[in-house]
Amino acid sequence: MRMLLRAAVLLIVSAAAPGPVHPQKATEQFIPLGQSPGASGKLTWIGEITTTDARARTLTIAEGDTPRTVKITEKTRIFVDRSKLKQTNLTGTFADLQKGRRVEVKYGDPVLKQETDWVKVEITQP
Amino acid sequence: MRCPPNAGNPNRAATRLAAVVLGSVWLQAACQPPPRTPEQAIIARGRQIFFAETFAGNGRTCGTCHREERNFTIDSAFIATLPKGDPLFVAELQPALKRNFENPRLMREHGLILENLDGFDDLANRFTQRGVPHVLALRTSIASPQGPRTGWSGDGAPADGSLRAFAVGAVIQHFTKTLDRVAGVDFRLPTDAELDALEAFQLSLGRQADLQLPLPLTGTVARRGQEIFLDNALGKCNICHRNAGANATLGPQDAGNASFNTGVEDLPDQPADLTGERMPPDDGFGTPGDGRFNTPPLVEAADTGPFFHNNAVDTIEGAVAFYDGQAFNNSPSGRFLASTDPNAVGIRLDATQLVAVAAFLRVINALENVRLSIDLLTRSAGMGFAEREEALRLLRFAVHETNDSIRVLAGGGLHPEAVAELTQAKSLTERAATSLFGRRRLTREAIRAQERARSRMIGAKP
Repeated sequence: MRMLLRAAVLLIVSAAAPGPVHPQKATEQFIPLGQSPGASGKLTWIGEITTTDARARTLTIAEGDTPRTVKITEKTRIFVDRSKLKQTNLTGTFADLQKGRRVEVKYGDPVLKQETDWVKVEITQP
Repeated sequence: MRCPPNAGNPNRAATRLAAVVLGSVWLQAACQPPPRTPEQAIIARGRQIFFAETFAGNGRTCGTCHREERNFTIDSAFIATLPKGDPLFVAELQPALKRNFENPRLMREHGLILENLDGFDDLANRFTQRGVPHVLALRTSIASPQGPRTGWSGDGAPADGSLRAFAVGAVIQHFTKTLDRVAGVDFRLPTDAELDALEAFQLSLGRQADLQLPLPLTGTVARRGQEIFLDNALGKCNICHRNAGANATLGPQDAGNASFNTGVEDLPDQPADLTGERMPPDDGFGTPGDGRFNTPPLVEAADTGPFFHNNAVDTIEGAVAFYDGQAFNNSPSGRFLASTDPNAVGIRLDATQLVAVAAFLRVINALENVRLSIDLLTRSAGMGFAEREEALRLLRFAVHETNDSIRVLAGGGLHPEAVAELTQAKSLTERAATSLFGRRRLTREAIRAQERARSRMIGAKP
């Protein structure tokens, strides 16, 4: 009975609890940096990577004059945007997040801005 | 025949010609379509994009799969009527899309469309096959406390997850010329203005508000079906499909459009599986998925089958019976319902009760079709000669809706007298669509026949 009640509570929580929206990440891979409708510039930061810390899995970007440090977690998807080269976009790794490259960072929670949903890193040189 | 006196008089002929020209100009001015409101204009623009815009891709449009004449969805019976060159079949026609873009057999036999919802890294193995959900009544069916829920698993849209952004993901998934999916090469992304218009058009489709149940239904079986539907101790349907819509009431809470794991994936002998074609499990919401799928509205269900995300069941009776089976009752949602039941029962109905619920769903679907048909016919009847093309389009659309009403009622052996009225309404509408001078009169007669059909199914509210 206790298990059933737990299942019921879990179901109500998962089905109805308020929380951030969950956009689909699969097709996001192919949207060029800065062009995600309703998200780019509103739910994302766009800027150049100034530093990275592979051990802490963080990167700092300069968004205008504002430095933003973001954490890359297991849930964060990294997309390599090669659309300016007219090549297919790829999924990437932390190693693709190199200093000087332009990135777009989508944070998961629009209020807390802590979790990072995805990062797009733009490649412009073959 | 004798000419009237002075018929050959050039002055009089010129006067007559001038009168005819002036009369035509006046008539044209009098018949000019009224100026559109900004909302009507953007919806019209969205319609044009939805059905005609290929976004420089493989030739598909939104309307390739969301057919207006098929309630904005598609199924195997309809697919069988399409010509070989239809853009739906790009995987058969374009070498670059031959592998890992669609499974033509599953598409043709079961109306299934390939989706790479968990990513594009392993196209041969990571995909799902899903039916095409209709896009009717979106105004009532995608809002939740977590934000909009689009597509079968509620996470169909990239970017901000909105209905507006949904088209971007659809273009990337379904419109591409090659599997490289390079924006600007294999397709172009919709502009902001196009996304605005597409959203406005989609939100304009179908019901704009939920029903208020119970309805004063006249049919005894459908009325009993409604009672079972609304009985939270018996049918329990209204818990997740409040007012036969897409929104749930969980305890005291309005959960909006909620997602549930109802165990559809656990159904044995699913038609697509029986083909032997590759059908990886569909894990639903999220990546990796948690098994949940979105709740669709039920008013539109009876004429938009097959049912469930994987087109597992063909008939509305079968879809209702699913909730009486083991797959549902062993699922998290079934166990949830059992946990709230004094006898620890999820949903248990007998055949007569299942058919009654299905009859109820058939009748409310037919009533919605009648409502929409009357709306289309009324708009058409209000259009003058200058808007004839649009008026005829509305008439053709009304014929499709009326066909659906007839099919849905006759398929359940329901309301034969309403079916007769609808058959007459359809005939009148078809005649109106081909009549040069009697269009409006015949359309008004068709409206009256639709109203008579409706009065056979539903009485006045007490």
